Amino acid sequence: MSSIILEAREIRYRYPRGLEAICGISFHIRKKEKIALVGPNGAGKSTLLTMFNGMIRPDSGMMLFDNQPIQYDTASLRTLRKRVGFVLQNPDRQIIAPTVYQDVAFGPTNLGYSENEVKETVTQALRHVGLEGFERRPPHQLSGGEKKRVAIAGVLAMDPDVLVFDEPTSGLDPSGSEDIMELLDELNHEGKTIIISTHDVELAYPWADRAILMLNGKILKEDIPEVAFGNPESVRTAHLSLPTLLELHMELQKRGFLLKGKKPRTVLDMMQCIETLFEKSGSNKRHGMITICNVDLDNGENLSKWLSMHSGICTGAMGTRAKQCAENLQIRLDFTYGVIDKCILKALLGEDSLILTTESMVKRIYLRVDAYGLESGVNIPMHQLNNAPEAFNEKNGSVP
Amino acid sequence: MFEELLEDIAQKNGLREVNAYLKLAAGLGAIILCLLSSSYISPLFIAIVLSGAIIILARVNAKTYAELFIVPFWFAIMSVVGIILITGGSDIFWQWNILPSFSLSITRESINQGMFVFCRVIGGMSAMIFIALTTPMTDIFIVFRQCRVPEVVIDLMMIIYRTIFILIDQVIQIYQAQLMRLGYSTYRESLHSFATLCGAAFIASWDAGEDLIRAMDARCYDGKFALLGENRPVERLPCLAVVCFLTLSAAVVIISGTITII
Repeated sequence: MSSIILEAREIRYRYPRGLEAICGISFHIRKKEKIALVGPNGAGKSTLLTMFNGMIRPDSGMMLFDNQPIQYDTASLRTLRKRVGFVLQNPDRQIIAPTVYQDVAFGPTNLGYSENEVKETVTQALRHVGLEGFERRPPHQLSGGEKKRVAIAGVLAMDPDVLVFDEPTSGLDPSGSEDIMELLDELNHEGKTIIISTHDVELAYPWADRAILMLNGKILKEDIPEVAFGNPESVRTAHLSLPTLLELHMELQKRGFLLKGKKPRTVLDMMQCIETLFEKSGSNKRHGMITICNVDLDNGENLSKWLSMHSGICTGAMGTRAKQCAENLQIRLDFTYGVIDKCILKALLGEDSLILTTESMVKRIYLRVDAYGLESGVNIPMHQLNNAPEAFNEKNGSVP
Repeated sequence: MFEELLEDIAQKNGLREVNAYLKLAAGLGAIILCLLSSSYISPLFIAIVLSGAIIILARVNAKTYAELFIVPFWFAIMSVVGIILITGGSDIFWQWNILPSFSLSITRESINQGMFVFCRVIGGMSAMIFIALTTPMTDIFIVFRQCRVPEVVIDLMMIIYRTIFILIDQVIQIYQAQLMRLGYSTYRESLHSFATLCGAAFIASWDAGEDLIRAMDARCYDGKFALLGENRPVERLPCLAVVCFLTLSAAVVIISGTITII
């Protein structure tokens, strides 16, 4: 386990003339973790989040960042806020400037970057969230999802180590929320620690490394999601609902089905549970192949050629650049979220699939598929498009 | 909604990529020429050329443009009717003595004067609308900065510009919420609702202000507002067009001298 980056020790906070919002909380967050703060409205999630970058100072107790107690003088707060980026729930409240470029440039400018550096970081941040070409647009003309992305880019431009999101998907449509969650995954994969607050259990359950259940300013439970959400009693106390998959798993268990393995977090896990239950004799049936295309290495020509040879193949895209590439080449995407799992599911059905992705994610796909292979004993053939452009024949590796 | 509409058109118009100075020069130059002219012909000429530019070059929907023009147009008509009736003169066409010491009349001079004022209004309006529809505020900020307008003023303008749209959104929401619950059904009720609307809008703006400070603090605000983008380069063709337009208009101003309509 990596080292601790944020820590709270017995913190308490009371709003002026108001309720005690935080009543003695202690916890720690490690580097590169994905944390979900889950709780009903008014549980103190947002208040707690604003303590992470020193916007609110606890009445008692201590907040530590990088094992140093947080100092509340102006200079230290600046350093802290550079390293802990905060994305507000309402992007309208976060976007300050009249154009997208200016807004994203706000942080870097105030950090004293030179004009060229500012330009570079802004371009990169906008590229990261998939908003290239939006520089001169005024924010009020953008859609909710795009505004959210601008807000995220504004924080990314300061290159923080920790990203704090207050209700990242509130007010977004399902596909918009999925895109944002995918972006959070991507950022986490680049080594950023990510903390979100939400009351959407279904969203937090498959995503988080650790979930912190909060109620009335206290921590109710803090554990891996399977455990944190696994207890119907505590979930009910926290005014939340059980994740559907967990509920299904429990109901199956109650009916006497012996489910092996860990509790399911994704549809794939669930399928595995059910399939081992019925012991389908499909162990030697042909599995579909997953083809990976790294859009950073591909100029599109290769890919188009390959696609024309494999028309009708299920295609998924991971990462903002891959999605943009798909849009440019007018490739219809079947999956944009949870792509690896969905492709494994396809492969189990004996269908082939293609994943468009970027350099940094290729390894992750291999890791995930291998991990699944180890767990289930199913060997799914994989093939990378860019490494061996001449190896176009489909039989390669897919014959049992 | 109207302000948003204007800005939206400006952000998407066909002359968006033309250097802001050129567009401002064309618009402001036209206004000055309208004021210098002592004949009705040159403002009319300017109005026709600029309207053509707005509809054909900037590709603004002709109907939208006409709608924009209608408010000042009626205003101009009403004022001009007043001017024509009240201004006196020697060559009387029609006269009505309402009171012994006060009479309404239409004279050659009053018609000339009315026509002149009317054309000036139309010319000036088209120049104003030309600027409003082709140059978004965001580009004008760049010009301001390059013209050394104090930073504080520009920063304030930018924050106000950004906040206007958020506030308008909120006001519309509150208004619709009131409308849905029949807040404007009677005169009494509408007075009350309007008062509540103002109060709620004030509180909302206060809140937004506090949030703004928080948002700026969270991003290490240090008294600096981000640099603006760059102005578009001055291209030869638009530059030539603006010079031609201004010289031609100036020529019309000089040639037309004091020609009157009758």
